Amino acid sequence: MSDTPKRPNPPPGARSDRSRSPLAFVAAALFTLAVATFGLSLLGGSSPRFPSWRAIGAAAPARPIDVSVSGHLGDHLFDFTTKGISFLFIVMCGIIFWAATKHGPEHKAVYDHGSSGKALILTAVVTLSILFILDGTLLYGSFVDLGEAFYNFPKESDHPLIIEVQAQQWAWNFRYTGPDGKFNTPDDIVTLNEMHIPVGRPVFLRLTSKDVIHSFYLPNFRTKTDAFPGAQSRLWFQATQPGVFEIGCAQHCGANHFKMRGQITIDTPERYADWERAQVAQNQRRYDPNDVEAHWGWDWEY
Amino acid sequence: MSEQHIHPEPTTFIRKYVFSTDHKVIAQQFIWMGLIFLLMGGTMAMMIRWQLANPGVPVPILGKLLLHSTGGIVSPYIYTSLFTGHGAIMIFFAITPIMIGGFGNYCIPLEIGARDMVFPTLNMLSFWTMVISCLVLVASLLVPGGTAAAGWTTYPTLSTNIGTPGLGQTLVVIALFLAGLSTVQGAVNYITTVIRLRAPGMGYFDMPLTVWGLWLTAILNALFVPVLGSGLILLSFDRLFGTHFFVTGALVKGGGDPLLFQHLFWIFGHPEVYILILPVWGVVSDLLSFFARKPAFGYKATALSMVVICILSAVVYGHHMYLTTMSPLLGESFMVLTMIISVPAMVLFVNWLRTIWQGSLRLEVPMLFSLGVVFVFGLGGLTGLYLADIPQDLYLHDTYFVVGHFHLTMAAAVFLGSFASIYYWFPKIWGRMFNNTLGKLHFWFSIVPITIVFCTMLLVGYSGMQRRLYNVESYDFLKRLLPLNQLISYTAFTLFTGQIFFVSNFMYSVFRGRKAPDNPWEVGTLEWQIPSPPPHHNFDIVPTVIHGPHEFNNPMVKGKDWLAQDEVIPPETAEAPHVETQLAGE
Repeated sequence: MSDTPKRPNPPPGARSDRSRSPLAFVAAALFTLAVATFGLSLLGGSSPRFPSWRAIGAAAPARPIDVSVSGHLGDHLFDFTTKGISFLFIVMCGIIFWAATKHGPEHKAVYDHGSSGKALILTAVVTLSILFILDGTLLYGSFVDLGEAFYNFPKESDHPLIIEVQAQQWAWNFRYTGPDGKFNTPDDIVTLNEMHIPVGRPVFLRLTSKDVIHSFYLPNFRTKTDAFPGAQSRLWFQATQPGVFEIGCAQHCGANHFKMRGQITIDTPERYADWERAQVAQNQRRYDPNDVEAHWGWDWEY
Repeated sequence: MSEQHIHPEPTTFIRKYVFSTDHKVIAQQFIWMGLIFLLMGGTMAMMIRWQLANPGVPVPILGKLLLHSTGGIVSPYIYTSLFTGHGAIMIFFAITPIMIGGFGNYCIPLEIGARDMVFPTLNMLSFWTMVISCLVLVASLLVPGGTAAAGWTTYPTLSTNIGTPGLGQTLVVIALFLAGLSTVQGAVNYITTVIRLRAPGMGYFDMPLTVWGLWLTAILNALFVPVLGSGLILLSFDRLFGTHFFVTGALVKGGGDPLLFQHLFWIFGHPEVYILILPVWGVVSDLLSFFARKPAFGYKATALSMVVICILSAVVYGHHMYLTTMSPLLGESFMVLTMIISVPAMVLFVNWLRTIWQGSLRLEVPMLFSLGVVFVFGLGGLTGLYLADIPQDLYLHDTYFVVGHFHLTMAAAVFLGSFASIYYWFPKIWGRMFNNTLGKLHFWFSIVPITIVFCTMLLVGYSGMQRRLYNVESYDFLKRLLPLNQLISYTAFTLFTGQIFFVSNFMYSVFRGRKAPDNPWEVGTLEWQIPSPPPHHNFDIVPTVIHGPHEFNNPMVKGKDWLAQDEVIPPETAEAPHVETQLAGE
């Protein structure tokens, strides 16, 4: 240890960096230049490979339009959470920034283990008030929303539109009862990747999967649920306005996961009735009693 | 405490550097291994990001080298392999070796005043089991049909022969099992070492918080990794012997339950995220105190909060499965339990912030990285609140919001925490100093891009983009997000290339750096009271511990602002009564 004399205590603030290498500065300068070029190039014209700031600005993050009766509940909780955590995050950053800039080596550190009763009580008060104010409000709101909307599945008396969904690699099969209100009968409507629902009527889905786990994702309804092989899951929603929107798969289901895209068409009740009538006629023509594969539906139970 | 012998130092190269039982050598082996796999997992991430920024365009440089069969294009199947590999490698082969295998091995004996682990041979076995696991993993990349592609979560039935037939997936399942085996071997060792080999006078509440974090991690590992192991064994039976534990559906008559695997996986999987972050919490709790020259605020509260989080981690795993149609009562229970985790987490944050408050901060490289951990973990922890909440999770689940959230908590925070540890113990492990300027540049080129990358992921997820999506242009409502994805990608490339500052600094300083003093950071924990690097048996005389690990600016000590854990307060301050009256008079 003779060649490495113990570093004497330097005066605060004067802890010099004695291991400078010119190479480091050259590397740093080159790299900074590269990053700066990258940053500046964003200002320039847009190419499909490389976005401009304008393109990034135009792609401002936003939720897809909400067309469901319950989607705004989650959105509302989201916005509340954002406010709460933004406040906490700003306070945290403020403390870090203040401590890092003002309580530097010139500042005399306070000898405080923070184990006094006073310190513990303060910690407990801060922690518990955040628990009760932020988490508590969130939990209360969530329990109300879950009870009234998300977990409040339609009952038979609500006359929901019931649809059975069978997911497969990589498509969605939908089965409607047709006029008789029963599944697996000749008047069933069976569609591939095409879902039609009327405005203003609850839609109740039961989902299963043929092969692997999929997840039925409706961004414009702010909801999704997994579809399992050998089991049923359920989901309900209700549309507030007509339109054509996308159905996604949210659970990794194989190489073509990204192609598992469906379409949901929301019609006025009259137009929906027209569609249903046309589909029933078409499906009855197509019906083949011997095609066992095609009769994947099951009896519905509420 | 059992008697500790001084074992003679091995003389042959093989026993000294390859099949070594010395915890310090094993630690270095783990760190090197982890860094290599960190590079590998990072490269995979870059290829993922390239595809998302430039769908269908051949990958420059890497494409020519690695993706011959497709002409440099990331095909959908390769894409699934890439994100599977990225997740599995980063978690099991990068973070676990660096933080748990590396710093667990290095810090536990040195910081508790032990001469080695309690079971040195088991320790060696743990490393070599990991090596076999790595070989199996690498072999999976080379077999025909390609490597695993079912996601790192390996959910059946996709991970069974229905979804991914072929040897590659089987090999990865086996590799994960072996990695788990190695982790459990290490965990048994760590737990026993902390209980049995603490230096005389060192109670549990005199241990550095780093040891607390590592010890709790080891306990969680020993409890929960076997659960994953059982799931993986059953899965490999399904793959190899045609059993039906998890296989079911229209294609199989009879059969098991794929959901069972999810339960097994997340009973392990949720503690796993704490397994990964607890060592970092411990290190950060210590480093904030060391570089603020101030005792860790509320030491016991911090340690006990970590204990509470460990307990809670076992009962919240259901929040990963909100969408599996669990009973409403169960879902709501998991939601409440998950939110309760914010109590111990807030205690940690309050204590960290009050540690640096009114301190005398030395913004050395390890301190910068520690503050970075507080910053990104703050972001990550707070965004967890959205996902704990079922009404919001229905929309956010399996979107990039989740990706952003868990990368902030267990990727960004652990990444920065690992580098905090590497820079902090660098002088001790290799006996040399690193270059300070390069270290600081490394910090700024890490923290800025890492924040932009993962916060933009939160925004993209908020806009509805699913995770594991091959191409944003495949959905109409996502097409507008392409520029944001390009921003993430190019920033991620900056982050990746910015690591050149670390690599150059590390490679140069390990071999050529200036010789380090014994205690460059002027801290009191036991490992800094011995030479750098430590001798084979660590301590010539096992120290007797008198103080806690965070005695900074103690008014009883004159002439310096720190006090070693085994140091008697110097005699010139023996006029203690005088000092006390002075203090009382103030």
